[in-house]
Amino acid sequence: MRLSFTSFVVLLMLWCAAGAHAQGTTVSGKVSGEESGAALPGVSVTVKGTTTGTTTDAEGNYEITVPGQDAVLQFRYLGYTTREVEVGNQNVINVTLVTDTKQLGEVVVTALGITREKKALGFAAQEVQSEELVENRQPNVLNAMQGKVAGVTISSTGGAPGQGSSIQIRGINSIDPSRPNQPLFVIDGIIMDNSTSTFGEGSELRGMSNRLADLNPNDIESINILRGGAATALYGLQGANGVVVITTKAGRKGEMRVNFTSTVGFEEVNKFPDIQDTYTQGYLGEYDSTSFWPSWGPTVEEARQIDPTHPSKLYNHFKDAYESGSQFRNTLSFSGGSEAMSFFTSLSHLRHEGVLPFTNYQNISARLNADAQVSQKVRIGGNFNYINSGGDRYNADRFNESLSYWSPRWDVTDFRKPDGTMKTYGNNNPIYGAATNKLQDEVNRFIGGLTFGYKPLDWIDLSYRIGLDTYSDDRTRTAPGPRGLPDERVYEDNELGFVHEYSTRFRAINSTFIATLNSDFGENFSGTLRLGHDLLDRQSKSYGVIGQELAVYDYFRLSNARFLSTDEQETEYRLMGIFAEASVDYKDFLYLTLTGRNDITSTLASNNRSFFYPSVSVSYLFSEQFDLPDIINQSKLRLSYAQIGKDAQPYSISSGYAPYAGLPTGYTGVTRDALLGNRALKPEFTNTFEAGLEMAFFNNRLGFDFTYYYSLSKDQILNINVANTTGYILAAINAGEMRNKGVELVLNGAPIKSNNFTWDAKLVFSANRNKILKIPEELDEIVYASQFGYVGSTVSMRLVEGEPYGNIYGSHFQRYYGPGEEEDPLFIDESRPIVIGEDGFPVRAPLTSQKILGNSQPDWIGGFTNTFTYKNLSLTALLDARIGLEKYNQMDNFFAAFGIAEYTENRNDTKVFEGVLEDGTPNTKEVWLGQGIGPDGVDYGNGYYRNYYRGVSENFVEDASWVRLRSLSLNYSLPEKWFESIFIRNASLGFTGNNLWLHTDYKGFDPETSFSPSGSNVDGFSGFTYPAVRSYLFTLNVGF
Amino acid sequence: MLALVFVGTVAGLQGCEDYFDLEDNPNLVNDPPLSTMLSTATQKTALNNYRVASITSYFVQYLASSTQGSSTDSYEVTDYSGTWNALYLAMADIYDMRQKALEEGASHYVGVADVLMAYHLSLVTDLWGDAPYSNAFISTTLTPTFDPAGDLYQETLRLLDEAIVELGKAESSVLLDANNDLIHGGSTENWIKTAYALKARQLNKLSGTSSYDPQAVLAAVENSYTSNADNAEMGVFEERNPWAEVALENENLILGGWLSEQLIEQLKGTTTGVEDPRLPKITDPTINGDYVGTPNSVGNVGSASNTIRDETYISRNSPLTSDTSPIILVSYPEVKMIEAEAALRAGQTERAYEAYLQGIQASMDMLEVASADANAYISDPAVSVGASNLTLADIFREKYVITYLNPEAWNDARRFDYQYEDFTVPVNAVLPTFIRRVAYPSDETAKNPNTPDVTDLADPLWWDA
Repeated sequence: MRLSFTSFVVLLMLWCAAGAHAQGTTVSGKVSGEESGAALPGVSVTVKGTTTGTTTDAEGNYEITVPGQDAVLQFRYLGYTTREVEVGNQNVINVTLVTDTKQLGEVVVTALGITREKKALGFAAQEVQSEELVENRQPNVLNAMQGKVAGVTISSTGGAPGQGSSIQIRGINSIDPSRPNQPLFVIDGIIMDNSTSTFGEGSELRGMSNRLADLNPNDIESINILRGGAATALYGLQGANGVVVITTKAGRKGEMRVNFTSTVGFEEVNKFPDIQDTYTQGYLGEYDSTSFWPSWGPTVEEARQIDPTHPSKLYNHFKDAYESGSQFRNTLSFSGGSEAMSFFTSLSHLRHEGVLPFTNYQNISARLNADAQVSQKVRIGGNFNYINSGGDRYNADRFNESLSYWSPRWDVTDFRKPDGTMKTYGNNNPIYGAATNKLQDEVNRFIGGLTFGYKPLDWIDLSYRIGLDTYSDDRTRTAPGPRGLPDERVYEDNELGFVHEYSTRFRAINSTFIATLNSDFGENFSGTLRLGHDLLDRQSKSYGVIGQELAVYDYFRLSNARFLSTDEQETEYRLMGIFAEASVDYKDFLYLTLTGRNDITSTLASNNRSFFYPSVSVSYLFSEQFDLPDIINQSKLRLSYAQIGKDAQPYSISSGYAPYAGLPTGYTGVTRDALLGNRALKPEFTNTFEAGLEMAFFNNRLGFDFTYYYSLSKDQILNINVANTTGYILAAINAGEMRNKGVELVLNGAPIKSNNFTWDAKLVFSANRNKILKIPEELDEIVYASQFGYVGSTVSMRLVEGEPYGNIYGSHFQRYYGPGEEEDPLFIDESRPIVIGEDGFPVRAPLTSQKILGNSQPDWIGGFTNTFTYKNLSLTALLDARIGLEKYNQMDNFFAAFGIAEYTENRNDTKVFEGVLEDGTPNTKEVWLGQGIGPDGVDYGNGYYRNYYRGVSENFVEDASWVRLRSLSLNYSLPEKWFESIFIRNASLGFTGNNLWLHTDYKGFDPETSFSPSGSNVDGFSGFTYPAVRSYLFTLNVGF
Repeated sequence: MLALVFVGTVAGLQGCEDYFDLEDNPNLVNDPPLSTMLSTATQKTALNNYRVASITSYFVQYLASSTQGSSTDSYEVTDYSGTWNALYLAMADIYDMRQKALEEGASHYVGVADVLMAYHLSLVTDLWGDAPYSNAFISTTLTPTFDPAGDLYQETLRLLDEAIVELGKAESSVLLDANNDLIHGGSTENWIKTAYALKARQLNKLSGTSSYDPQAVLAAVENSYTSNADNAEMGVFEERNPWAEVALENENLILGGWLSEQLIEQLKGTTTGVEDPRLPKITDPTINGDYVGTPNSVGNVGSASNTIRDETYISRNSPLTSDTSPIILVSYPEVKMIEAEAALRAGQTERAYEAYLQGIQASMDMLEVASADANAYISDPAVSVGASNLTLADIFREKYVITYLNPEAWNDARRFDYQYEDFTVPVNAVLPTFIRRVAYPSDETAKNPNTPDVTDLADPLWWDA
């Protein structure tokens, strides 16, 4: 510690000595846009090679002190090409800027809020701007980025209001499936918690929000996604999975502006599974209107002869059970400022009703961003955001499972009797469950930060930021008890009524100090050195009281419960980093950046707690060095190498005894904790190599950005699931190696650009290949997830050496191998015939043979955005694709078991299964697929689907690739001349459709949805999920 | 905000090492007193008795599913991961208690741990056969090996013998805590009797093998229980007895705990001709005033609606399954029946007959049967067959009632080759014969490559001839 500080001080002094001092003259002028001629406020004006700079005021005017006549002024403005002007002997320099068709020349916010020119970056960076984000009108910011950024996979886990989304940057980086693979989220320099808390019984499957969902998308100015090691190096281990840097809107100098945006829309389930409509309730083909079995009865016609009250057609209980949802969001914002101060403030309200009955979400957000230039040397800024969010969540897994048991002979929407109890013929009514078995959450959150900047000299800038993210997350789970009425049916999960109260208090304090030193060395070199200190102190405490069995059936107070028990959890985490970044630029075409960071973490033992790692990156603008043909614009080559360390999850190094929960009040017991801790854990390291090429052509009308990366993680820290015969459920170990490599491509084009009509197109494409190089020695494999399937069709996700992450294992049909032919133990050879048993049915291989049936990680993902603008009208369409992945469809497994799937319509057919007998001769035996005695007099028992089909996982691991029209938005700006004489400045109307079209072979709901909560690395199961939605939204935006 | 700045500064300037020392998990205890381990170990043991019985009670047809073709009823390969994990996590707690007791010289705790461990091992190995033990619960391997079932059996005997010695020691650095000993309330004497009762059970399990020694069984019996007051039972629940929980859910039409036709027909005396007075103590009559069992794998019969209460179920009115009834691990009546069987096999018919009648009487007492009713049943010629006419079938028939909802019943059924009157393989069962074992659970097969491959559930365990 002391050593590092000392060396920094020395470095700092050395740098001081190199600093250049100069007194100069004053230059002023006005900056305007070339096309529009309008003044441009907020343009950054800097003296090249120094940090001397200012911004233009509301009228586009600036004034700046320059060191001398040889000084060069740089004018930078987002969306415009940067211009450089030599001062010479001029005192007034008026400049016009040309709009840029994106790409190079931009200024981007990189690590720790450092603003850098994009051309100087030696790593890939892709920014998403405000306009692109609000286009989809998605309440969850993450969803708004889908398909827009290369290398980033964002999956909405389902369509519930406020439901969490998962984001993965360049694949899975950790073998530890329990370890969040989510990137770090930083908003205006403050680390923002994006966890998805599943604290509290039942919240795991209730689509809880990822905490980023709290953010109002309308507040965001831009989002920059830092993907590789070199890009995130300054964030240290927290940035190991990438960093999402969010910048919110800031006030602009000038008159106050008021903006009002209102979005109204409705939504519906975008894809339903196909279900059979021929067979009704009962078993073995016998009709029984109270049977548990929803669809193994006779045909509707046959049933109607027995039961005249049977409806003439079966209900489509899946379509009936879901309704149409709605959402309303209103945002009012004010912004403005003077020379000394500027502000942006907004107030927003969202109300979202889901397609699954009785689910909803509400979000109220208030923000104040303010900046003040106290003196020439001192500036202060503050960002404050208060959020209140939450809603009624329901367990979609349970809902769909219950729907599968529900017989479509009965109307599922008729769920309540006049006395308020459940109406049913026998099985649980899922809608009644959604109506009464509740989980309501309410989050009150404050995110705030203060920034202090001090610039004692031209070449030195000190900045300090302190941020706080704190929230309470209160959850109330209730269900009414039985009322004791005659013939009352209790909804199973409601038991005897309960009330649970849970509360989490979270706070994270984040402090960052950065000193920036700039200097020129001679004519051709200039450099920047940054030194910094970073601290994160995070604390979270959760507790819950579980009250079971209510005396008054619907009085949801803990005092009304017969039995009370508790649940408590507490975590503290501390991390400190000291870092340095040195960058040198040679003649504005070659940039070299070196970084180093030393972290000290609280999650490792003292001897392993402190560790250092470096990075280096180069940006080479070859187009500036060589005289290239005119058609080639600014183009560059990037190279970087980075090492990033990573610590353990809190308390992975300790073991102990936890309170034993099975005893009543008055008794205390302890039980061995689930985790086998490991004091010897040492940090894991990831080495990343990245190379990229960016080129622009035809006046930047066409451009591409190509990236290749390769990263290798060693000594991974894992909390793996272990066999319970060890006496533990999890064990912390330091083992395993994983590799990710991939390519990313961004293609930009402006095929048409005329006065009235423009066409812009952007294509993003990425492909990642993962491989597990090593797993802990004594294990053959690590099973990190499994999901139930009937009679042997349970699937699991396993890590096996030499295989990629995401493989789904399960049972499979026996295939024919002749004498001497060897069977691959891992893969199915689909070209071989299936072995048919003596009974005429396909044979399942022994359950001990579990083969790879698919992989949940896509081969590639792509997004294609086209924007057409004609005068005031613009149309944007985003096609999004995820190709080459498989998922286990548990719903289809149940559909086979309960005779719901459309393909079970053939149950009364007789067929000869294609395949060969054990001796290799073709099968010729005719069998019946139905239940009971077949037409051939043979007793087929429970029938083909229950006896054979449902028990083979191979039938249910499906291609989950999709292509969709992610969004289509049409926006019309009302002509400004309409408002010339009134107080309205501008107004626009928009329509957005999300998920208007989906193409997939997957049989269940939209395969993007996931069984696991957001943030989980388990993404191979998509069965009984909250279905995705297709939404139609109308937006009005008015500026005053 | 200033406070935050302060935190940052302090952290930066002051001794960093302390600030980052967050190694101890605040949610955990490092060195708990033995008494807090005893309460957990004794309660988990009883709950595991319930968990295992929730599987085996379908095999011995005490219970039957209300749903046709349910997986346990019809002998399908069913995943009992939850039960397996609960057994092993309890064994880990018992193991830790034993280790700590050894360190502290708390002999009585060592003895109790031995008894509980032996009991758990018997539950595990009688369901699955080979199972991890010798390198389970210790943190040296993440993939414990499977010990042969025969070795595990020997280990249970060794543990029980050791328990008898340890519990018999006058000195123990820590005395059993009466409040936290949820089975015997701190009585070492009763723990020793339980050790003998379990030993008798284990020795008697070999009845079908050549190494069966009835005299050894009888010797163990002699040191065991002398009345129902000695029974190993546990009655401390978070809410209520788990069987009562099943019954309560069933009352609320979350169906479960339906009694099998097999049990009800025996109690009704369909086969013996004499109605068992324990029937109304075990269950309640239907809305029609009769007793109707449900055939295994057939599900709800009678009226079409499964909501009409025209079958018999586990009852919250029974002394065995009320909200506050204890779970019985091993009982005096059962020990008497072990004695009867061993004596009969040893040719001591008088002793056998006496134990047989005492066992039935003790069972009647436990179920609070009126003495007149009990006498009427016991004196019926179908029951009081006379010493010279006593058969194994008589003993097994009576023991079948005594071990109602106890996992031991399945061991007996297999030893007796399911030769109970009218006992048949369930309709549409996937096996052609009676079930003899269960398959290893997916949690273990998935995480432990040492797990043996068992697919044929008709394949008998080593002691099951």
